[in-house]
Amino acid sequence: MIEKLLYVTLAAVGIYYLVDLAVLSRVKKRAVYRAKLLNLLMLLSVLAGFAFAIKEMTLYLFLQIVLLNIVEMCVLVLATTGIVLIFKTSVTTNFAQGTVATVGAFAAAKLIIYLTANTAMPMSTKLILALVFSAVVTFLIGLFIDTVIFRNSRYSNPVGKQMITMGIVLVLFGLMPVLFGLLPLTIEAFSYFPYEIQLPNFPYPLILPAQNLIALLITVGMLVFLFAALRFTKWGLGVRATASNETVAGMMGVNTKLITALSWGIAGAFGGVAAFLFAPVGSSVTVSFMTPVQVNAFLASILGGFSSFGGPLVGAVLINLFSSIASFLNSVWTNVIVYVLVLLLVLVKPLGLFGKKTAKKV
Amino acid sequence: MTTLRLSFDRIRKQLAIIAKHPYFGFVVFGAILVVLRLLALGGIIPNSLMKSLVITMIYAIVALGFSLLLGYAGLASLGTAGFVGLGTYFIGHFSGTLGYPFLATILISLLGAIVLGAIVGFISLRIEGMYLAIITLGLSEIMREIFKSFTAFTNGVNGLGFRDFTLFELEVSEAAVDFIVIFVFILLIIGTLNIIKSPTGRALLAMKNSDSAAQSMGIGLMKYRLLAFTLATIYAVIGGLLYMMDQQFSIPTTWSLDFSLNILAAVVVGGAQSITGIILGTFTIFGLNMTVLKEIAFFREYPDATWIVSGMLIILITMFYPGGLIRLLLAIKFWLIKIWKKLKRKWSVYRYGEDD
Repeated sequence: MIEKLLYVTLAAVGIYYLVDLAVLSRVKKRAVYRAKLLNLLMLLSVLAGFAFAIKEMTLYLFLQIVLLNIVEMCVLVLATTGIVLIFKTSVTTNFAQGTVATVGAFAAAKLIIYLTANTAMPMSTKLILALVFSAVVTFLIGLFIDTVIFRNSRYSNPVGKQMITMGIVLVLFGLMPVLFGLLPLTIEAFSYFPYEIQLPNFPYPLILPAQNLIALLITVGMLVFLFAALRFTKWGLGVRATASNETVAGMMGVNTKLITALSWGIAGAFGGVAAFLFAPVGSSVTVSFMTPVQVNAFLASILGGFSSFGGPLVGAVLINLFSSIASFLNSVWTNVIVYVLVLLLVLVKPLGLFGKKTAKKV
Repeated sequence: MTTLRLSFDRIRKQLAIIAKHPYFGFVVFGAILVVLRLLALGGIIPNSLMKSLVITMIYAIVALGFSLLLGYAGLASLGTAGFVGLGTYFIGHFSGTLGYPFLATILISLLGAIVLGAIVGFISLRIEGMYLAIITLGLSEIMREIFKSFTAFTNGVNGLGFRDFTLFELEVSEAAVDFIVIFVFILLIIGTLNIIKSPTGRALLAMKNSDSAAQSMGIGLMKYRLLAFTLATIYAVIGGLLYMMDQQFSIPTTWSLDFSLNILAAVVVGGAQSITGIILGTFTIFGLNMTVLKEIAFFREYPDATWIVSGMLIILITMFYPGGLIRLLLAIKFWLIKIWKKLKRKWSVYRYGEDD
């Protein structure tokens, strides 16, 4: 498996240089065609990699692992969306995304405990209430961060903003034990019922836990809502204008402050929902239970490239597929394999798979 | 009588010249640290205070290396924790488990640091800005996974112990380790000072302000980025070696993102471009937690709550004093001088009357 991948990579590199020297050196727009060739070869080699992996582990097992990992994928996609939204409007990578989300999960878990003690609601109602509560709490924290901290920082350059988000991480890390106690809390899954899907030609039925289906529905619903809002509402137009140039957008009458604040809030809410969905999978809600998701979400944004909204989502899905396959190959070194793969892909394309080069003013 | 007076004058002049030497302050600082350690040996200062001082010094060494990256070369990296962790495992494995002589361990560690720094440097040529910070974060996570899973080298999640440390076939006691730390600390401060004031330091600074301008003046990006990362990695690995000598234990959970963020916080809070600032920042972020805040009942109940203080410090300082604490101190100094001059003027007016 590994050696096959190595051969594919070597072949791709060989073809790239051969075509570049033999054909493209005689063409006028060499750089443009080179980039196109690179994209094509990368796509082919990634597809070849997937094909080899699926052949190795059989289609049944591959689909089964993917179905079982849907919750992780949804969580990663939601977290990545939040990070990209903030990057678009505030030009900073938000290190606090995962920590803010953790606060939401803690609040939700506390609410469930409170409701269980004081009312006789059924579990599903409690969970829905807790989900909404988590989203609201994280929305408010996001708003607070933008309006109180970012709006008042006079000397804001991108690195300074990054530092501020790291400061927020530390503050929340310290605050959480004080607010929610030192013990880890739990959030139950909506349902533990497994659906069985029998496909033709497969020896056994595929198992799809109902919780995964619910998570998928929630995520797809939120994403459709967000992308529709970005495409069709005035807020979405404002976000796109702010993303392309904040100053000019402000001059054209876009209320950039409101738009940035709302983006922070919405990004926070996405994180809150992600943490709520991740809690049953990650066994218990602790201070740092979202950190791996946070790291993966960053890598996904880098892999997809920050310049579009869709790219990072593809990156998140790709990272999840990589880790599904890697966990089959070697359960101990899963993360290392995934990180190294992402690193190599990013080294080939430094702006991400779907990144666009921006002209730099000297 | 007059000759005696003359010689006194001469000594005073000599002293004034020595005091103006850039190393002077740091050497005095080192001497004070040595005296403190001796007092702790005598039992006048509590040993726990000295322990926190020593570990803070080790963090300051790592922060010095990081400041070369962030403050001078302008490269944001979040991989510090991985490199420090690597240093601890180098000495733990080669000197502790395999029993190599100490000099061999140092050589291996330095070689490892140079190779790793060069790799990260090469990556930094291709990936820039915020992307670089995230990629180095990924590298650090890779290294943490290696620390967790490569049990033959690191003893896995149980952590690696390191005891009975011998240097040139002599048993090294805890007090001796402290003196070694102080010595290396002062040595590295002086080394950093020399790097900063040399053409290399100026080249790094030029590169930070504008890549293109620096290149047009004949500064090779490749050479200086590799150099910056290699230096930072070497400092981090040295920090790791000292950490292992001092704490005698290393466990993968220590080398997570929090550690890198704390080092970053120390550099930013203190002021990334001044050695005094970095020392100040490290002592504020780490020393404050370990000495002052420990005594407050609230923080004793919730030990993690000390992070609130450092987080608030980072946020406030980035918001209002991007130059760091050192700028704040300078501002206060100028303000005091201004007030002093005003008072002096008022006094002379009161004493001798208004000037015409």
